Order: sequence, then C-alpha cells, then structure tokens
Amino acid sequence: MDTVTQSEKTTVGRATVVTVKREPSQTTSFMMTLIRGMTVTMRHFFSNLFTKTQTETLEYPEEKIPYPERHRGLHRLMKRDDGRVRCVACMCCPTACPANCITIVPAETDDPSVEKYPAVFEIDELRCIVCGLCVEACPCDAIRMDTKLHAAPVEFRGDAIETKTSLLERGGLSHAIQAGKGSDWRESEQ
Amino acid sequence: MSERVVLGQKNPEDLEASNDLMTINMGPSHPAMHGTVRLVLQIEGERIVASDVQPGYLHRCFEKEAEYATYNQVFPYTDRLNYLSPMLNNVGFALAVETLLDITDDIPLRTQYIRVMVGEISRITDHLTCIGASAMELGGFTVFLYLIKVREWFYELLEELCGARLTYSYVRIGGVSHDLTENFTIRLKDILARTKNMLSETETMLTNNKIFRDRMENVAIVSKEDAIAWGFTGPCGRASGLDYDVRKDYPYLIYDRLAFDVPVGEHGDCYDRYLVRLEEIKQSMSMLDQCMEQIEPGPIVVDDLRVSMPAKKEVYNTIEGMIAHFKHVVDGVKVPAGETYGFTEGGNGELGFFIVSDGTGRPYKCHVRSPSFTTLQALPFMIKNALISDVIPTFGMINMIGGECDR
Amino acid sequence: MIDTLITIADWPGVKWVILVLMFALPVASLLTWAERRQSAMIQDRLGPNRANIGNIRLWGILHFVADVIKMIGKEDFIPGNAHRGLFKLAPILALVPVLIAFCIIPFGPTIYPHALFDVISTDALQGMIIHGGVANDLTWADQITLQILTIDFGLIFYFAILTFANYGTTLAGWSSYNKLALLGGLRASSQMMSYEVTMGLSLMGLFLIMGTLEPGEIVRQQGPNPWQWGIVLQPVAFLLFFSAAIAETKRAPFDLPEGESEIVGYFVEYSGLRWGMFFLSEFIEIVFISMLITSLFFGGWQVPFLHDDGLYLFGTVTEMNHITVSLLRILSFVMKVFFFCWFQLMIRWTLPRFRPDQLMQLGWKRLLPLALLNTMVTALILLWIQ
Repeated sequence: MDTVTQSEKTTVGRATVVTVKREPSQTTSFMMTLIRGMTVTMRHFFSNLFTKTQTETLEYPEEKIPYPERHRGLHRLMKRDDGRVRCVACMCCPTACPANCITIVPAETDDPSVEKYPAVFEIDELRCIVCGLCVEACPCDAIRMDTKLHAAPVEFRGDAIETKTSLLERGGLSHAIQAGKGSDWRESEQ
Repeated sequence: MSERVVLGQKNPEDLEASNDLMTINMGPSHPAMHGTVRLVLQIEGERIVASDVQPGYLHRCFEKEAEYATYNQVFPYTDRLNYLSPMLNNVGFALAVETLLDITDDIPLRTQYIRVMVGEISRITDHLTCIGASAMELGGFTVFLYLIKVREWFYELLEELCGARLTYSYVRIGGVSHDLTENFTIRLKDILARTKNMLSETETMLTNNKIFRDRMENVAIVSKEDAIAWGFTGPCGRASGLDYDVRKDYPYLIYDRLAFDVPVGEHGDCYDRYLVRLEEIKQSMSMLDQCMEQIEPGPIVVDDLRVSMPAKKEVYNTIEGMIAHFKHVVDGVKVPAGETYGFTEGGNGELGFFIVSDGTGRPYKCHVRSPSFTTLQALPFMIKNALISDVIPTFGMINMIGGECDR
Repeated sequence: MIDTLITIADWPGVKWVILVLMFALPVASLLTWAERRQSAMIQDRLGPNRANIGNIRLWGILHFVADVIKMIGKEDFIPGNAHRGLFKLAPILALVPVLIAFCIIPFGPTIYPHALFDVISTDALQGMIIHGGVANDLTWADQITLQILTIDFGLIFYFAILTFANYGTTLAGWSSYNKLALLGGLRASSQMMSYEVTMGLSLMGLFLIMGTLEPGEIVRQQGPNPWQWGIVLQPVAFLLFFSAAIAETKRAPFDLPEGESEIVGYFVEYSGLRWGMFFLSEFIEIVFISMLITSLFFGGWQVPFLHDDGLYLFGTVTEMNHITVSLLRILSFVMKVFFFCWFQLMIRWTLPRFRPDQLMQLGWKRLLPLALLNTMVTALILLWIQ
C-alpha cells in the first residue's frame, strides 16, 4: 500500500515564536488581587443590579432565543401537492444515518409515477444524533429537520419513536420540482 | 517543586515502600475529574506519593465504529471526540481523507478559509473552556461563567452557521456542508470585540491574581526534554518551551497566509500553560480578523462528483446527479487504497488521524492520535510529590477531554 | 405591669429568642438566597427568582423556604460504617456554638422605655439620664440592653465558644467513614486552629486601646465620631481580623475544608437537614462575623455624629427624641451588618481558593507576625502617649 504524506516541513508560513512573559511575582499582592478582582465583579454586580444589559441568561420558558434558519431539530416529512407523502421509500436516509435510527417499510402505490411509498416511516428520536445526514441524503426533499423543535423528554422509550403520522403532521408542502426544470432546493420557499 | 521540602518529611523512596499510605480515589465521580477519569492516589497526609491514572470511562469505540461508516458518516463521530472543539476534529479528519484522495490542492480557497475560521473559533472555545474550568476548580467560579458566556456567543454563531450548538457535523470530504451565512462576518466581528472586553476582565481577575499565581506557579513543572519524552504537543508542549505547532511547522489549509505568533513558555509550569492558552486565544482572534479580510466568494465544495455530493438541483432534475447522489449515500466517497497520517493542530495538541483505506468507501482502519491521551499519561509524573490540591490545576491545564482521550 | 414586661424583655433568654431566632437566623436564611442572587448578578446570570406562593414572587426571596422544605423531604442518609452518635452530633456542634456566640453582640443601644419620647442624654454621665429635665437614677427595670449577655470577658467567651464549632466540622469528617471527608475535617481543624491565633492576637491592640473585652463597652467607647472608630485606630487589626474571620467561616478563598473540586468536603456524606445545618451554620457565621466587625471596628450601632440627644453636625445640634435615636442606631447596625455580609459574599465570588500549605504560610508566617507587630506598636504608642 502507498503511504501518502501530508506535507513536508516548511518555513513558508508567517508564524513567529514568542515567549510568554509573566510579571515578576513581587508585583502581586493579596490586596491588589482583591482590589482588581473587585473592580470587575462590582462592575458586573451593579450593572446587573440596575440594568440587565450584561445579563446573558433568559427567563427561559417565557423568553427564548429564536433558533437560526439552519437549526436542526425534530424531523418532519414533506407532502406533495395532493397531500400524499413526498417520500418514495428510496432508503437513502436509513443508509446515510450513522445511528441507524430510521426505519422504513416500503410499499407499492397505484400511482405509476411514484411507484413506492413508505408504509412505515419511523424515527427513534432517542437514537437520533441530530447530524442532518438524512436531510442531505434525501433525493426528493421529503425529510427535513427545520421544525425548530426539540425531541421532548419521554417516560417510556417507545414514546420517543416518531411515526409517519406525527412526522407528517409537522410536515408542509414542498415545492421542489423534480424530474424537470424546476427551482433550486427550497429556493422557491425562501 | 524544590520548595516543598518540609522538616520531618519522609523520603519519597521510603514512602513508596511503606504501608502507611492512604489510598484515595479521585473520580470517576469527582467534581474535578469531569466524570471521565479515575485517579488512584497513594497519599501521605496530603502529599501524593504515587498515583495511577485510569482513563476509559468514556470509551465509545470511535475507531471501530469508523470502520463501518462511510467517510462522510464519520464526521458526526469526530464531533464527539473533543467536544470542546468539534470543528477542529472535523477539519482534521477531512484533511486526512483528502490527503489520501490527493485533492488537497483542489479544495476551493473559500472552503479553506471557512475551515480555518471555524477551526480557530473552535480553538477559542476550547481554550476558553479549559481556562474557565480550571479557574472554577480553583474556586474562581465567576471567571468560569464569564468565559462560558463568551463561549456561548461563539456557539450561537456556529449554530447559525451549521444548525447545531455542539455537534456540528459541518465539514464534508472536499468541502463544507453550508456556506457562511450572510451576516457571519458582521456577527463575528461583533463577538470578537465583545470577547476582547471579557478577556481583559478575565486577565484582570486571574493573570496577576496572587492566589491564582500561587496555585499555578511552580506546579507540575515539565521540562522541554520531559515534554518531548512524554509526547507533549499543543499548549502543554509549548508551555514547556517546545516551539512545535503544526500550523507553523507543517502549514495546512491557508495557515501559511496568516501572520501569527506561536507562544511558548519558559518554565513549563501550570501558569505557563495558562498564559500560552490565553495568548493562543488572542492569536486565534487575530487570525479570524485576517481571514475575514482575505476571504473571497467562491464555491465551497470540490467540483468533483466522485468526492462531493451533487447540488440538490442536480439531484432532483438530472439523472447524472441522481446517480452520483445514490452512489454517495450507498457507497460513500471511494478513497484509493493506501494509508496516511493526517495531522492538524487540535485544541490540545497534534490531532492525528491515521487512516488505512482498502479502496472502498469505508475506512479499513482509522486511528486517532489524540493529544489528550498522550498528555494524560504524564499526569502521574506531573503530580508526584505534589499535594492533592495541585492535582486540580495540573489536571485542569492538561485539559483532558474524555471523548478525545478514550475515543 | 409595664415594669414587669420590661423586666421580662430584658431577660437574656427572651432577648436571645427575639434577637437571634427572630433576627440573626432569618437574616442568615435570607443570605442563602442573597448569595445565589448576588453571585448570579456578579456572573451575569439571573439566579433563583421563581420561588413563589401564588402570585407573590418577590424576586425569589422565598427560595429559602423552598430549600428548607426540600431538605426536610430528603432522605436522612447515614453511611453504614459511620459512627452514628458522632455523625448525628456533628451538625449540632457546628450550629449551636454560633447561635450561643451571638450573646455577646450589642445589637443596639440601651433603651429606656419610660423615656421613649423624651430627649435624653447619657453621653456626659454614664448611668444618668435626663428625663424631662430631671436627672433620675436608673433602676434595673428601667432599661433594656439590646445585648443578650453583658459579660466582662465577652470576646474571650466568643473565642472559647467558637472553638466548639471546630469540633463539629472535624467530627463530621471523622465520623463519616469517608477518606475525603476525613481530609476535609483535618483541613478544617488545622485551618481554624491556626487562624484563631491570629484572630485573637489581632484584637490585642484594640483591647489595649479600649481597655475592655466587652463588645458593648467597646461600641460605647468608640462614640459617634467616625475618627474614633476601631477602623481608624486599628486599621491593620481590621485587615487581619477580617481575613482570619473569613477563614473561620470556611468560605472562599478559605474554603479548603469544603474544597468541592479537590476533596469534596467534610460533609460529603451528609444529606437533608443535617447537611442543611452545616450550610446554615456557615451563613450564620457570616452574619456573626459581620456583626462582630461592625461592633469592633465600625462603631457598632453608632451613627456618625448622632449623640443620645440628637445630631451634632456642622456645629449645629438637631434634637431628637430617644426613640428616633434608638431606631436610627438599630438601623445603622443592621445596615452595617448587611454591608459586611454583602462584602463577604463579594469576596467569596471574586477570589479563588488557597492551597493548604499556602494557607498555613499566610496564617503563621504573615498574619501572625503582623498581628504581634501590631500589638507591640500599639502598646508602644500607648506607652508614649501616657
């Protein structure tokens, strides 16, 4: 087998070596330590006592930081224009899933243009590591993780399994056009 | 540690042989051990005569799992190696695979900049946590929360970029999964400015703090020779005077375009490790500034369907795209047979991935040279003859990350 | 009838219940909440602010009630190999001495219930009050001293009593059958012993100046003028005493017996109310230390420039009746105590923790010689003045 090496040792870079300096230990004293520390803590204390400008935490259930656009949360299954599930049970997402948390049982449909649909589509949110590879692996924009929801805590393990029904409940209409000239991925929705 | 001679103290050699020692367990359930490592200490009074370090409580079979995953599927696993700087692990693994694919030079320039930027952000969060956690364990809880507050700003920025706070899974073979958001640089500049303020406050509270210095100075001194012998790299090695930094000595990505200082220490004690980490945060911040100036628009993945996934538009609408997509999902990136050791500068030192490929889409073998593990092995040596209290700054400044150490 | 009531109110037991159980203890309990809120504000957090009864939320002040309810509800766990008797005794030994030590604290001035609305003056002549223009002799029933016990050896009594608290922590560590707890207990005993020496010696200078060990008398002698207060007369002693006192409370930067990241603490094995007693005793000690420092160095209940018969400011006298003066003085005492409680909490959240050997070095090699030097210099100056 070949051994590939990364790179030769070079000096091309513009990095320089500096030695970290420490002040002589005579310059420190307990009093100065206390005074210096107090200037910082007092400043924070009083600014937080009268205003909340520095306070970083929120009153959580009432206040929340909005999740960013790309946030990966609970899954959802997208729908076609006629409300049927968009998924064609191609098994890409269970294959791509590093945690093996997606279970699909495909079945045939009467619609000749679709051929297959998932009779069972289950995601075990306890196993899911929220990596987003399933979304990337989906060739028909059927699965998404942009719900901005968390997996809720559950009492029994079985309750954490998202079924096709619950996934579809969260799902919306996808406008991504396939097999023809169409919009870019999610372009039309933005 | 020469000052630690106490009248009437027994000879260390005699002590080791005696039976009068108390065995005490620190960890795995111990506040300072981060829940992931166990120290068995033989103590005489509060002095440590002998110690045994037992890692492995966070072993999750990374190396074996990687053999069953396609190369792109490994990225979520690498997130969980050093969970304080997942981006650096992401980048490190991607670079190793790309070296095997021999596409290192084809990576778009913008991607390289993005990788450096997210990597340096991760390095900052890593060092912030290390300094903060050490300060907390020494009783300075306030500093810890100040630094965690800063870390949270960076986490939020990265969450905006890739959708997750901690387990980013951002980098892909041959590129990254998302381009920078529109206001990324604006937000980053804002955060950097605020970080500078908080860092200066931290310095006011810690750097010349008499108690903090007393706890850190002359504790766990490691000479340059010892550092090399124990395999120290990264901040710990540099604090011992070893001027080895992968970014400087073997520049990867675009590090050769950036001007930065590599801080090294003179004394090799815990205080030097603290100073080096603090200086590295500042250097990373200046690197981010330089990157923001230099970065230019461009593609973010390699234009090669064998390496990178096709755009979704292609997948939806063309048969070539669809086929390439399926090949990617099912087979993964086919990496030529061979072996490589890709090494980058991780948060705690040289982070190496040794990958053996047999030509399929999954690694035949993937080994991690984790910097925490090599540094941790020196812990018994570092805390010998020290006090129990000295374990805390020593262990804190090693910044042993269970996920990385135990893999 | 009123005389009987006054006599009853002047009984030490009654005063103890009122002053300690109804003032000091609630303040200490509130401090548990105040510390969390204050640390939160220092650390840019919100802190506990949600404990409520119905709609009454009061910034979460009720958290200490919630804490007590939680601690009552927890399992009272005693390790199998622990020495059960000592294990149960230890928290009591930690808590009770502090509560007893409050006896020597002058909570306020002497109150003359018969002359509440009169302008009185005792400054000139001790033991005489000018009541309605007529100087009367005092009887025992005529006054209430807001000090539980007036004993001549007051501070010695405190040093003696507080040593018992030491037993509490040490026994807690020893009886838990836990090596980490044992280390904590040993640290506690060595630390408290070393610092008690400094604590006692640092006050020697003050004793020399005041000529008494009785805190109430010390407060009275300091007078209403701030330049006669202990902090001006004995600034070094204040620093030494304050450091040693914080060390006695076993809180950061001297929280080595607890040292939660090193040895987890002498009370590792305690849970529920027994742990709560250790926790509470720590906070009561904070209150106590604040009161002691206020009394010894900051004029106790004295308000600057407020004499018994009114405010002497800029050469003018504003006359006030006895009850106004007394209330102002009690308020002044409470404010000073609150300030020092707050200040101790600030220190606790600012400084990191010492290492045992450095703590000993600080105690024996720096504070103790300084205390001795302070005593000597004070003695020499006094000798020179005389």
